[in-house]
Amino acid sequence: MNQHPYLRAYMAGVAVPTALLLVGVTVFFFARFVFNVPLPIERVVIFPLTIIPNAFGLWNMLYVKLYPRWKTPIGLHGAILPFLIGPIGFTLAVALGFITATEHGLVAFGVIRIPYGMLAVAPFVAIAAYYLLWKYGVGFLNREVGIAG
Amino acid sequence: MQEHDAEKVRESLKLVFPPVNQELQRDLWPLMLRRMETPTTAVPWYDWALAGAVTVLFVFVPKLALLLAYHL
Repeated sequence: MNQHPYLRAYMAGVAVPTALLLVGVTVFFFARFVFNVPLPIERVVIFPLTIIPNAFGLWNMLYVKLYPRWKTPIGLHGAILPFLIGPIGFTLAVALGFITATEHGLVAFGVIRIPYGMLAVAPFVAIAAYYLLWKYGVGFLNREVGIAG
Repeated sequence: MQEHDAEKVRESLKLVFPPVNQELQRDLWPLMLRRMETPTTAVPWYDWALAGAVTVLFVFVPKLALLLAYHL
């Protein structure tokens, strides 16, 4: 099964965020329709729906490309991805008006106030979550489709 | 097409396409057994700790969960 390793890597990478999208969209739907948070949901889901799965797929292709040379653990490889995705997501959120910066912190979606102190923790949470997702989610799928993992 | 022509076509096809070998080339059961006996990946303690810490953080600070959901 040595054919199209990059295609298989892309598909294995895409599968994890696509499955988790259900959870994310459910969270946003509850926030919007149950708790009446004024989310422009059709614009909010653009980033998780389009950019994140493709980023996972391409990042996994890069992992397969680099693996023979560097033998990086897949968890570590995945933990680097938030450094790329985070700024893109933040820029997009600011550009589309979901997040505004105030004197005391960020205001997300018009109602959620996040103090700057708490924001210092956010990158570590993202890194930890991505590390676990890549190690146990993408790594498992990579092994199943017969590529490095 | 006459019966004679059909017979000729059948013969030609048999000549061109050799019979498919439907028997297994090797016994797959030992492979399956080996795979079933392979120990599953053990989750190290620090991964449990990390998962626990992230879960606790999400429970106490749900705002972060929403932010992470946006990035997932």
